[in-house]
Amino acid sequence: MNKQITFNSKSENLNIVDSLIEEISANFKMSDDSYANILIALTEAVNNAIKDSTILVSVMHINNELGTLNDIDGIGKITREKGIFFHVDAAQSTGKVPIDLKKLPVDLMSFSAHKTYGPKGVGALFVRRKPRVRIEAQIHGGGHERGMRSGTLPTHQLVGMGEAFRIAKEDMKQDIAKIKRFHDMFLDQVNDIEHVYLNGDVANKVPNILNVSFNFVEGESLIMGLKDIAVSSGSACTSASLEPSYVLRALGRKDELAHSSIRFSFGRFTNEDEVLETLSILKNVVERLRELSPLWEMHLDGIDLDTVEWKTH
Amino acid sequence: MAYSKKVVDKFEDTLNNPQAFKVGRFDPAELNVGTGMVGAPACGDVMKLQIKCEPKGNSHVIKDVKFKTYGCGSAIASSSELVEMLIGKTLEEAKAIKNIEIVEALELPPIKIHCSVLAEDSIRQAIEDYESKQ
Repeated sequence: MNKQITFNSKSENLNIVDSLIEEISANFKMSDDSYANILIALTEAVNNAIKDSTILVSVMHINNELGTLNDIDGIGKITREKGIFFHVDAAQSTGKVPIDLKKLPVDLMSFSAHKTYGPKGVGALFVRRKPRVRIEAQIHGGGHERGMRSGTLPTHQLVGMGEAFRIAKEDMKQDIAKIKRFHDMFLDQVNDIEHVYLNGDVANKVPNILNVSFNFVEGESLIMGLKDIAVSSGSACTSASLEPSYVLRALGRKDELAHSSIRFSFGRFTNEDEVLETLSILKNVVERLRELSPLWEMHLDGIDLDTVEWKTH
Repeated sequence: MAYSKKVVDKFEDTLNNPQAFKVGRFDPAELNVGTGMVGAPACGDVMKLQIKCEPKGNSHVIKDVKFKTYGCGSAIASSSELVEMLIGKTLEEAKAIKNIEIVEALELPPIKIHCSVLAEDSIRQAIEDYESKQ
C-alpha cells in the first residue's frame, strides 16, 4: 500500500496538518507541492496535487487566520469526478455561512461546537452514506456509531452543541449583518493608518475575521500594547515554533509582514463602542510602536529595507 | 507568552514614556556617537543602539544612550533594560555586560533569551563603531 494524503492548500490549519502528520503511517507519503493564492485552495491547485494514489483531499471551509472561503463546490466537483473522498473542516463555518449538506459535494465534514458559542470539548463529523465513506475507528471497544467511534456520548455536551447550532442558524442573518457593518467600519478606519495591508481577499471572506499587517511593527509587541483587547498574531513570537505564520507566507507575504499581522474578530456579542474603542487604542499603539521602531525610522529616511544587509542572528 | 511582571512593566513604561526611557536617535555621523544595529526584520527583531561618549582618563565614558527596537515585547524590554545599565559606565565596563544580567533582571523565559543576546550584541557593535572613530 502506498497511498497519499494530499494537502491542497499551504495555508491548511496547523492543527489538522499536525494531527494528520501524526496519523500518517509509514505507508503514507505526504505531498506538499501545491500552490496557494488569495483563494487559498484553488481548484486548479487541488487538481494538480491529486495523484493516482490520492485517497483523500482535505481542506478547510473557511481559513481560520484570514477568514477566506475555499471553493468547496469547485474542489468537490474534481474529487467526485476522480472518485476521491473529500473532507472539509467546517469549524469556522457554522453560523457564518449557510451549510447545506444535501447540496455540498463533500463526503466528510467536521464541526466544532465552541466556535459557535457552544460548549468546549464536543464536535461532530458528518459521514456521507451515499457514496459511502468507510472510516476506521480511532477509539475502539463497543463499536458504537456503527463502529466508527466507540464510547458513551456526553448527552449534555451534545445538547449544548445542538442548541448552539440551532441558535446560530436562527440568528445568522442578523448576526452577520451586524458583524459586516463592524467589519467595514473597522477596515475603513484601519486603512487610514499608513502601510497597512489586509491579508486575504475582502471580496471572498467572512466578515467576522479580519487579518491585517501593520508594517514596521512586530505583532507580538502590538498584542502586548493592545492588552485589553484579545487578538492573535501570525508573529513567530507568539508561536511555539518561532516561525511566522505559514498561512501568510503561503500568500506570498514577506516574513516581516507575517510577523506584523494581527487577527481581529467580531462576534455576536461585540458592540459598536467596543469596535470604536479598539480602533482608537490600535491607532495609538501602532503610532507609539512605530516611534520605537528602527525600521519605521529607516523608512521615513527613505531607506529601502529590502536593500539593507541585515546582521542576522 | 507568559512574561514576568518585570517584562510587561518595562515594555509598557517604555511605550508610554519613550523620551524618559531613551527612545530616539543621535546623528550617527558625529564623532562622539557609536551606533550598533543587530537583527533582521525577517527574524522579527531589530535593535538599534547608540551611545554618546566622552573621554575620561584612559578610557571613555557613556554619557547618554538612545535606542529603537522593532521586536516582541521582551526584545523591547531587553533593550530598554540594557540602556539603563549603560549610562555612566566606561566602555570597558559596558563591554563586560553579559546577556545573563538582562535575563535575570527581567526574568526572561528561556524561549526569549535570544532577545538578551541581541541586546548584548548591539552594545558591542556600538562600542566597536565608536572606537573605530577615535
